[in-house]
Amino acid sequence: MAQEGVRPSLRPVVRLRVPGIVWALPVYAFLILFIVFPLWRLFRDAVTTEEGAFTLGFLKDFLTDGFYHRALLNSLLVAGGTVIGCTLFGFLAAFLLVRYEFPGRRLFSYLTILPIIMPPLVGIMGLVFVLGRAGTVNVLLMDYLGLRRPVNFIYGWHGVLLAMILHYFPLITLNVTDALSKLDASLEEAAEAMGAVRLRKVRDIVLPLVTPGFISGTTLVFILAFADFATPLVVGVQNLIASQAYLNIVQFVDRRLFKMGIVIGALMAVLAILFLLVARRIATAREYAVLSYRAVERQVLRGPARWLAPLFFSSVLLLAFLPYLGVTLAAFGRAWSLTPFPERWTLENLDQVIHLTPIFVLNTLRWSLLAVAIILAVGVPLGWVLARTTLPGRGLMDAIVTLVLALPGTAIGIAYIRAFHFPLPWIGVVLSRLWIIMPLVLAVRRMPYTVRATFASLLTVHRSMEESAASVGASGLRIFADITFPVIWRGVLAGALFSLMFALQEAAATILLVLPGWETMTVGIFTYYTSGTFGQAAALGFVLILICAATLFVVYRLTGARMGGLFGSGGG
Amino acid sequence: MRVRLDGVVKRFKGLAALAGVSLVIEDGEFFTLLGPSGCGKTTTLRIIAGFYDPDEGGVSFDDVPQNGVPPAERGIGIVFQNYALWPHMTVYGNVAYGLKLQRVPEADVKQRVAAALAQVGLSGLERRTPGQLSGGQQQRVAVARALVLNPRVLLLDEPLSNLDAKVRARLRSEIRRLQLDLRITTIYVTHDQEEAMVLSDRIAVMDAGSVLQIGTPFELYDHPASLFVADFIGSSNLLPGDVVEGATGDGHVAVHTPAGIVHGTAVGPLGPGTAVMVAVRPENLRLADGAPLETTLPGIVALTQYLGSLIRYEVEMAGGIVVRVDVGDPHRHVRLAPGDPVHVGFAPMSAQVFAKEH
Repeated sequence: MAQEGVRPSLRPVVRLRVPGIVWALPVYAFLILFIVFPLWRLFRDAVTTEEGAFTLGFLKDFLTDGFYHRALLNSLLVAGGTVIGCTLFGFLAAFLLVRYEFPGRRLFSYLTILPIIMPPLVGIMGLVFVLGRAGTVNVLLMDYLGLRRPVNFIYGWHGVLLAMILHYFPLITLNVTDALSKLDASLEEAAEAMGAVRLRKVRDIVLPLVTPGFISGTTLVFILAFADFATPLVVGVQNLIASQAYLNIVQFVDRRLFKMGIVIGALMAVLAILFLLVARRIATAREYAVLSYRAVERQVLRGPARWLAPLFFSSVLLLAFLPYLGVTLAAFGRAWSLTPFPERWTLENLDQVIHLTPIFVLNTLRWSLLAVAIILAVGVPLGWVLARTTLPGRGLMDAIVTLVLALPGTAIGIAYIRAFHFPLPWIGVVLSRLWIIMPLVLAVRRMPYTVRATFASLLTVHRSMEESAASVGASGLRIFADITFPVIWRGVLAGALFSLMFALQEAAATILLVLPGWETMTVGIFTYYTSGTFGQAAALGFVLILICAATLFVVYRLTGARMGGLFGSGGG
Repeated sequence: MRVRLDGVVKRFKGLAALAGVSLVIEDGEFFTLLGPSGCGKTTTLRIIAGFYDPDEGGVSFDDVPQNGVPPAERGIGIVFQNYALWPHMTVYGNVAYGLKLQRVPEADVKQRVAAALAQVGLSGLERRTPGQLSGGQQQRVAVARALVLNPRVLLLDEPLSNLDAKVRARLRSEIRRLQLDLRITTIYVTHDQEEAMVLSDRIAVMDAGSVLQIGTPFELYDHPASLFVADFIGSSNLLPGDVVEGATGDGHVAVHTPAGIVHGTAVGPLGPGTAVMVAVRPENLRLADGAPLETTLPGIVALTQYLGSLIRYEVEMAGGIVVRVDVGDPHRHVRLAPGDPVHVGFAPMSAQVFAKEH
């Protein structure tokens, strides 16, 4: 080599090559210990007696109980209704945003995503403040229109559906927007040239091609709506499977009911897995790699449609923003009752939750930030293993990550209660009594966003970029620092912030696992609200929304609002 | 069918993409729109197809104005650069779709799809999906899909640009043979001048939204009307200079270039003192072999490339001008090595002299 003049030593450079599997093993171990093991424990407990004998008795009890039948049916109906509602709003919104030009389009495309920063629990609370029995709208109706009795806008099934649809439709919008903007214009022009216009073209060409993206969005919405227990409980709906799981688990008196909670948790996990498998079957059979050369041009809306589109967005967003209004009013109102809006204002509630009992805010930040640290430590290497290696076990790990996205928080919470309630083998620690369980469960729940973001970012770094760095003498770590990292950090950070945002909002697994002293903001909102201390519940909600909004804002700045791929249960 | 464009203007966001294009494409003709990317060729094709309406001027088919007529009612068949096969339909589904839209009876659909696929040599692949086909096969499906509706005019938008060289050459001949069989008026868009030469009856060379010259491949190659065409069709050596002696009776002018005085044929009126470019094709340059030529210039061989059927020299001349010389029949020719002195010459009729474009 001609380097002798440069390098005085003739000793060959020995480069220690660590086999990839060494990096991967701790990651695999983490996934197995904190996902596979608790799930296995959950399933085992569902089919064994307290003494450890195998039995199908509990399962039989569940399946022969008419009450649970109805609860299961109700849950499926709520989830189905949510999907239908979200599809209507989400599809229309996506089509308008991608295909048409009308006043305010850019603004609406930003605003449409905002509803998802509101945790459903806060959302339903805010809706109650505005649409509830003594809420703004009913007080106005009674005062000015002389209505004798308040209109029931919100208590019951319709309220649950309203809250869920308003909260989840952006997930469909994001997925469909993503799929739509990937369609090449010529696919549709080829159909037009043969006479397939308007609806015919949409039916034959466009819809089939956005189906995979749509399916992955709806699966997620379906499972989320199916598994949510806190929202229904706030408006007094208990006869849902998730709510029953929660109510059975949190009472420790009746062992039989407790066992039923476990059975329901296991069943929910199985159903979620089932939904996911079915969705993937449908989606992958229709997944096409289409290279887009030319996007479809936006059509300028004319005539009445030009104003109907902004009207549609304004009304949906107005509804979606009602909870924000309610939460804000209640957070700053003093002794607000029987008037449409608070008469006097106060900072006491905010002061209470920030200064006097800051434990909720502090705990939430503590657990969530720790969770993100764990997520980065495990999720980034995992994303790398999935994108860049052919190590054995990749497929399984990929499946586990996708599974986690779909697993109901309730099921994970119950699984953790069962799995870590006993001293762990070898180390003898009872994990469920250590605070670390909180960030751990958050990390597990929210890891998929970061793994996917890392995976997707790594795909944009072509191997030849790294190889050309290697060809001029850069070592492995050097290549990562100089070439790979500068390209992927935005994507990874955006994923991590999404993980953070949804960790902040977690209101299922944490409510089940919380011990005194560990309470998070969502736990605080739930307990304040159910004990009638509305002002402080609202103040906590207000702070939570602010933190989430700030997080989302940073994500926007980082990614330029292209985040469709992060949501959904499809490939990854 | 006869396609006619009259002064078609198209603007995008105020910028003129087409600045008054007029063309007549005769019935049964294979007509190519040729030009660099951004020259307006695809826009022209899309206006003929009806995907865009012209801002000014009009398109007529057999003297029937087409402005405002939607693409489906124009009787066109179109093949896109990326084929635009619908990935969720089979080969059969893709080809049959247009017939189904026209409510052709099921039995006829079957028979016509089979015939169209046989035409492009894809019988037996009906049940495959586009993802299971090679690039060349996808391209044929796209052609079959366009032809199955018996269009009055076939429009092809760079249909071969995504294929590798061998497949491209084969499909090129197949397309031409098919077109000759069907005698269908065909409009072809490409940036590849060789493709245009091989395929076309006539070619329109476009640049910056205008048609520069229309002619047969022969006319364009031997009698380019402008420097742009001379440079774009085939390749030319360009020598900058000034006219020292105006046109004589046979149209020849003498030009002073850094490499010396050369003689060429004036394209257009060129008075003494005009700044010009002299264009000479590499195969029209001779290495001095004793034949008397009006122009001979000394130079030194800089590079020798052996291409099998010819030898290509790059010769450096006075003033730093480098010209390419292609010598056919390499085996009867004494090979020169870099550094060898040589004389390069050409006949005035094989060199065009164009006024320099400002």
